[in-house]
Amino acid sequence: MIWRFGLFDSTFEPLASTHWALLAALGLPLLLGLFAALFSPKRALPVALASLPVLASGVVLLAAFEQAGLLRWQWEIAGIHLSLRLNGLSVLLLLMTQVIGVAAALYTPGYLRLSETGPLARWLWPLMGVVLSALSLIWLATDLLTLYIALELMGLAAVGMLMLSGKVPAIVAGMRYLLLALVGSLTYLLGVALILGHWGRLDLQGLAEVIEPGPVAWFAAALIGAGLALKAALFPLHAWLTPVHENAWTPVSALHAALVIKASLFMLLQLWSILLPETFYAPRVIAWLGMLAIVWGGLLAWRTDSLKTLVASSTVAQLGYLMVAFPLLLGPDIAPLPRALAWEGFWLQLMGHAFAKAAMFMAAGNLILATGESTLKGLAGTSRRLPLSLLVFGIASITLMGLPPSAGFTAKWMLLQAMIITQQWWAVAALLTGTLLTAAYVFRMFRYSFDETAPRHRYQPLAPGMDMIALTLALIAFALGLLAHYPLELMHGGSP
Amino acid sequence: MIASFDAIAALDVIEVVLALCLTGSALVCLFDRHLVRACCFFLAFAVSMTLAWWQLGAPWLATAELLLGVMLTGPCFFYALGHLSPGASSPLKHDTFNEPWSRVAMRVVLALAWFVMVGAAIRYVIADMVYSPSEHPLLLAGVVIAASALGAFALHRHLLRRLLAFNILGSGVFMLLAGVAGTSAAAQALISVGLLVAWLGSMLGALLIRQLLHLEGVEALGRDGALKERTT
Repeated sequence: MIWRFGLFDSTFEPLASTHWALLAALGLPLLLGLFAALFSPKRALPVALASLPVLASGVVLLAAFEQAGLLRWQWEIAGIHLSLRLNGLSVLLLLMTQVIGVAAALYTPGYLRLSETGPLARWLWPLMGVVLSALSLIWLATDLLTLYIALELMGLAAVGMLMLSGKVPAIVAGMRYLLLALVGSLTYLLGVALILGHWGRLDLQGLAEVIEPGPVAWFAAALIGAGLALKAALFPLHAWLTPVHENAWTPVSALHAALVIKASLFMLLQLWSILLPETFYAPRVIAWLGMLAIVWGGLLAWRTDSLKTLVASSTVAQLGYLMVAFPLLLGPDIAPLPRALAWEGFWLQLMGHAFAKAAMFMAAGNLILATGESTLKGLAGTSRRLPLSLLVFGIASITLMGLPPSAGFTAKWMLLQAMIITQQWWAVAALLTGTLLTAAYVFRMFRYSFDETAPRHRYQPLAPGMDMIALTLALIAFALGLLAHYPLELMHGGSP
Repeated sequence: MIASFDAIAALDVIEVVLALCLTGSALVCLFDRHLVRACCFFLAFAVSMTLAWWQLGAPWLATAELLLGVMLTGPCFFYALGHLSPGASSPLKHDTFNEPWSRVAMRVVLALAWFVMVGAAIRYVIADMVYSPSEHPLLLAGVVIAASALGAFALHRHLLRRLLAFNILGSGVFMLLAGVAGTSAAAQALISVGLLVAWLGSMLGALLIRQLLHLEGVEALGRDGALKERTT
C-alpha cells in the first residue's frame, strides 16, 4: 500500500523547469486570487487568460512525471524537515483540482453578475485561491506538519467561502461547521502528537519504515481518523454538510463538495495505510458505516424537497462507496489482484464523483438562478425552457448512478469485481442498493422538471457559458470512464 | 507517608502554582455564565499559558502564546461581546440558554470518558513521555483542561461560549502535545501553527457572532444547540 502513495526514494532529481512548475502550481492560485480581489473581474475572459499558466504548470508536472517517474523535494528549515513528492496519483489529483478550480472560477463572474451577492463578493476570489493552493499542497505533501498546515488553511478558507452569502441560516450552519472543523483538527493534532512523541519524526516515508502495530499506532489512528472523518463528512459525522450547502453560492458548493471533503479522505487513507497496515477491524468499521451512508444518504436525497439538499445528500451516499472499499485497500490477506482493482476503482470513483458533483451543483445552481425557485416543485416546466441545464444534470447523474460508459460505471465495475473476488457480498449488496436509490432520487427530480402542464413562468436568462462550463465538467466525468486506461496507468506508474 | 512528602517535595512549587492557576482560570472561563468575566478569565488563562511555556523551557512558544493568544485572540472575544466598538451597548452579558438535565448528564459522561481515555493513553500507552505527569503537574492540568473543555464545548449552546471552549481545548491539547513529544523544533512548529489557526478561527467566529447579533439578536446564538450535533 505504501509504495502506491509514492513513499519511497526517487531515482531522478527534479529539473529546474519542474521546480518552477511546482512553485506555480502551489503559489499561482493564491496570487491570482489576491489579484482578482483587487480588480474583481466582470467577465470570464480575463479569468480564462489568468488561469492558463496554472493549467500549464499542471501539464508540465505531468510531463515531468512521465519522463522521470517519482520526484521528491526536501527542505530543512530550522530543524524541521518538510518534504513533497510527485507520483502518478498526486499528478492526477492536482490536475483534477486545477480543472475544477478553473471551471469554478470561470463560472463565478457570470454568477456574481446575475445574483444579488452583496458587498462580500470580492472576498470570494482570494478565499478560492487559498483553497486551491492548499489542496494542491495536500496532494503533494509527505510530512505531517505540512499536511496540518495545508489542512487548516483549506478548512478555514472553505468555511469563509461558504458563509459569504451572509444570510442567517448560512451563518448558523457555517458557524457550526467552523467549530466542528476546528475541534476535528485538534483531534488530528493529538494523534500527530502521539506519533511525534513515540517515533520522534513527522515525515511519512520515515514513519512508514519505523511504525509497528501496537496500542500507540491504534490510538493515533483512531484520533486522526475521527478528526479527518469529521472534516470529510463521513457517515455518521455528516450532519453539518447539508445545511452548509443549502445556503452557499453555487461555485463555492461545487468546489467544496468536489474537492475539499475529498482532501480529508485522501489524508485519512494515506495515514491509515501507514498506521494500520493489514488490520482487520478498523477498515471493516469504516466499510459498515459506508453501507449505512449509502442507504441513509440515498434516503435523505430521495425524501427532500429542496434541489440543493438533494445534491448535497447524494454526496454523503457517494462517499459511502469510497468507504466500502476500505477493507479491500487496508485489510489483511487481500490478494494483489483485488487490491489493485480496489485501488483503481477507489480513485476513479473519487475523481468521477468530483467532476460529476461539481457539474451537478452548477446545473442545479443554474436551474435555481433561472427559475428563482429552490424546491423540486419549482422546477415544473423547466424541460421546455432550460433543456441544457437539465441535460447537464442528467449527464452528471449518469456518472453518479454508475451507468455505462461513465467514470462511475468503470469505477463501480472494478470495485464490484474486487468485492466478488474477495467474497464481500454485503458490500456488493450495498453498491447495488446505492445505484437503485440514486436512480430513485434522480428520476424524482426529472419527474418534476418534465411536468408539461405547468404554467409558463418568466425565467431569468443565464450568462453565456454558464451551462457550457457545467457541461464540460460533466463530459469530463464521462470521458474518464471511456478513456480510463490512461489515468489508471498513471496511478500505477512510478512503482519501484 | 514520608514517600508522599518526598513526592510533593520533588514537585516544583512554581509549576504547581501555575498548574492550579491554569486549571482554575480555565474552569471559570468555561463555566461562568457571566460572559465578560469569562472572557477576562480567558485572558488570565492565556497569560498563565505563556508563563507555563516559559517554565517548560520554550521561550519561542511563550512569545507565540503572548502574541497570538493574549494580544490577538483575547480581543476577538471582546469584539464579539461588542466592547471594542465605540458607543454600542451590547446585549451580550449573560448566557441565558438553559439545557435540560439529560443533556447535561450526557455531556458529563462524555467528558469523563474522554478524560479516562486520554489519561489511560498517557499512563499505559506512552511509557516514554518526555515530561512525566507525576513530575510535571502542568501535564495533569493539561489533561483536566482538555477534558473539561470538551465537555463544555459539547454542553454549551451559546456560540461565544463554544468558541471559548474550543480555545481552551486547544491549549489543553497543545500542553498534552508538549508533554508527549517534548519541545523539539517539530513540536514547537506544530503548536505555533495550532495557535495561529486558533486565532484565525476565533477571529472568523467573532465576526460571525457580531453579524448574527446584528441580523437576528441574541436568540440566534443558541439556535445551533436545537439541532443535533456530534463531536467525535
